[in-house]
Amino acid sequence: MMKSRKARVGALALAATMALTAGGVASPAQAKEKKLTIGFVVHVVGNPFIQQIIDAAKMAAKDLGVNIKVTGPAGAEGDAQLTAVQNLAAAGVDGIATSVPSASMVNGLNAVIKSGIPIVQFNGLGEGVNAPYVGEKSTQSGRILGKMVLDKIGGTAAKGKVIVGNCYPGFPVLENRQAGVLESLKKAAGVTVVGPSDVKVDAAANFAAWQGLLAANPDALAMVGLCAPDVESIGKVNKAANNTKTIGAGYDLTAGNLEALANGSAHISLGQTPFIQGYLPVYILVDSIKNKIKINKPGFIDAGTEVVTATSVTEPFKLPALTFKDLQAMATSKTKTRKYYDPVVKGYIKNWKKNLKPVSDESA
Amino acid sequence: MTNSGAAQGSRKFKLPEETSVLVALIVLIGIVGALRPTFLKPTNLLNLAASYAIAALLAGCIVFLLSMGEIDLSFGWILNLSAVLAGISMIAGAPVWVGIVIGVAAGTAMGALNGVLTVFMRLPLIIVTLGTASVFQGVSLISNNSGSVVPTDERITQHVFFRALGGSIDTPVPIILIFVVLCFIGLHLLLHKTRFGYRILAIGSNPEAARLAGIPTKKIKIQVCALMGAVSGVGGVLFLGFRGAVDPSTGGQMLLPVVAAAIIGGTPLSGGAGTIWGSLIGAMIVGVIGVGVVFIGIDAVWGTLVTGLVILFAIGVDQVVRVRKKRAS
Repeated sequence: MMKSRKARVGALALAATMALTAGGVASPAQAKEKKLTIGFVVHVVGNPFIQQIIDAAKMAAKDLGVNIKVTGPAGAEGDAQLTAVQNLAAAGVDGIATSVPSASMVNGLNAVIKSGIPIVQFNGLGEGVNAPYVGEKSTQSGRILGKMVLDKIGGTAAKGKVIVGNCYPGFPVLENRQAGVLESLKKAAGVTVVGPSDVKVDAAANFAAWQGLLAANPDALAMVGLCAPDVESIGKVNKAANNTKTIGAGYDLTAGNLEALANGSAHISLGQTPFIQGYLPVYILVDSIKNKIKINKPGFIDAGTEVVTATSVTEPFKLPALTFKDLQAMATSKTKTRKYYDPVVKGYIKNWKKNLKPVSDESA
Repeated sequence: MTNSGAAQGSRKFKLPEETSVLVALIVLIGIVGALRPTFLKPTNLLNLAASYAIAALLAGCIVFLLSMGEIDLSFGWILNLSAVLAGISMIAGAPVWVGIVIGVAAGTAMGALNGVLTVFMRLPLIIVTLGTASVFQGVSLISNNSGSVVPTDERITQHVFFRALGGSIDTPVPIILIFVVLCFIGLHLLLHKTRFGYRILAIGSNPEAARLAGIPTKKIKIQVCALMGAVSGVGGVLFLGFRGAVDPSTGGQMLLPVVAAAIIGGTPLSGGAGTIWGSLIGAMIVGVIGVGVVFIGIDAVWGTLVTGLVILFAIGVDQVVRVRKKRAS
């Protein structure tokens, strides 16, 4: 009797150990060498754009010979994300890269920095965090998107409705993009903005929101989203409604978004170089830890903006010209992505200290 | 000792019902600690426990609703709106203590509203709160124009409430933990040592029999909903003090871990029974799993799967111990 009980508890303990160790315990070889370990915390897991950032961070870790621990909450919530950062700090990582979607994370992150663990922010900027930030110039990219949409619907003489959707109202970077888009659209006195409406992050809810918005405004000249799922959703909505009149525009170069551009159901998508947003924070952390460079104050490094339509691709940092097909191939191939960005790794990323600007440049 | 002797011993000394889930927690802590010994450092454990304290407090209170056979889907947004209202009033010039009272009072009112609606519409609380959750979220977004509430005035940030909860005042144990443990003692006594608590359990066991026995079921339902709202309001102001800000998304993802903590802790969904201390241990299990996944370095892609497997494991250990206890008694 006792034996069988012991065996059962033992089996359960073994199963739990196997489960807990299944994913990412360092191999014996890694344990022998005292490699640096970098924590990488994203605001949501399971999003194609965020996955591109994670892939780039892992490429950086591989190139630099460091361990990387990637984590993040399943649903975007600042408190859960801050807890993940604090857990990594307690686990003894050497540095942490994190997006900062919430103001409630700021004090907690500064406490981690004060304890001696360097932090680099990416993708979402936390105002007041004493750490550099790698991301796009959010207001400026909004202005670019707004201007491109305006050009497509008739320029400053355009008359009609433009629907604007924000998947995460209150997220500072998205609010900046929104401000930029609205600023550009204002130049056409005849344009009426519908929204900005909350179009949700979840892909299914996002599609439903755009479907509803188009149904309510069938005469809209354009639909402009600010988040990764929007272009794909807008494309599907246009296709389902057999609508060829409404311009679809938004952000990020996920495989789904590029497909929508390719089939003509959406028209413009701005990229924010997920490769740089993933690779550069890891590089900065490793460089600053190894060379004892202090990074405990706010700063901004521009990750650049990519401008993509079905007929043209404009890349930042004087990167080699790309065709739309090249871009589609890169969206699904890590090897091609790494190879393409090699000049950026050897130049812009390596010289990150020269490219560090005041944080106010982010929203200029 | 022979088996019969062991059985005799267990008859004399009845182990608390939370024993099984406590065993599961100890096993989990042991596994993570064995793999990553730094996990067991007391300062780490205390700080990490503090991070999960608010969710634990809500888990402790949702036991009242589960014991009554009800479930509230809106408490995360009650927490959010309470914190937003408290923060806005402080920023507008109200003294910090007044802001705290406003937050807790607002939470209580929202909870009471849930109770009144469920009683007068004769609908289960889960259906009512499907609607009110969105209402509270919407009012919160409107209240601060969908932005974060960040008190920056030194009058607020240097107030003892913010300094104590935010960690500016050094204490051996985080203040928030002490506060939450005291709340748990209060909640335990309320559920298991008062007439109010017995009535809740009676309603959960058999609502019709409770009504026929003269228990004012409608009044009790409203009171329990108001209690859930009040505790969510307390959670909201604690969050504001602990993190120093409230975001539009705060509280939105709390439902699952809080309900999971209560259920893992041993409170059945069917009503009629509940354990406050079990919910605390359940919340700690949820916390240890979250922390363990990070400590061990399980990749984000695998993290969700592993979390699910470990929850199943914890429930499995709990069940094994329960069955053993039942057989022994």
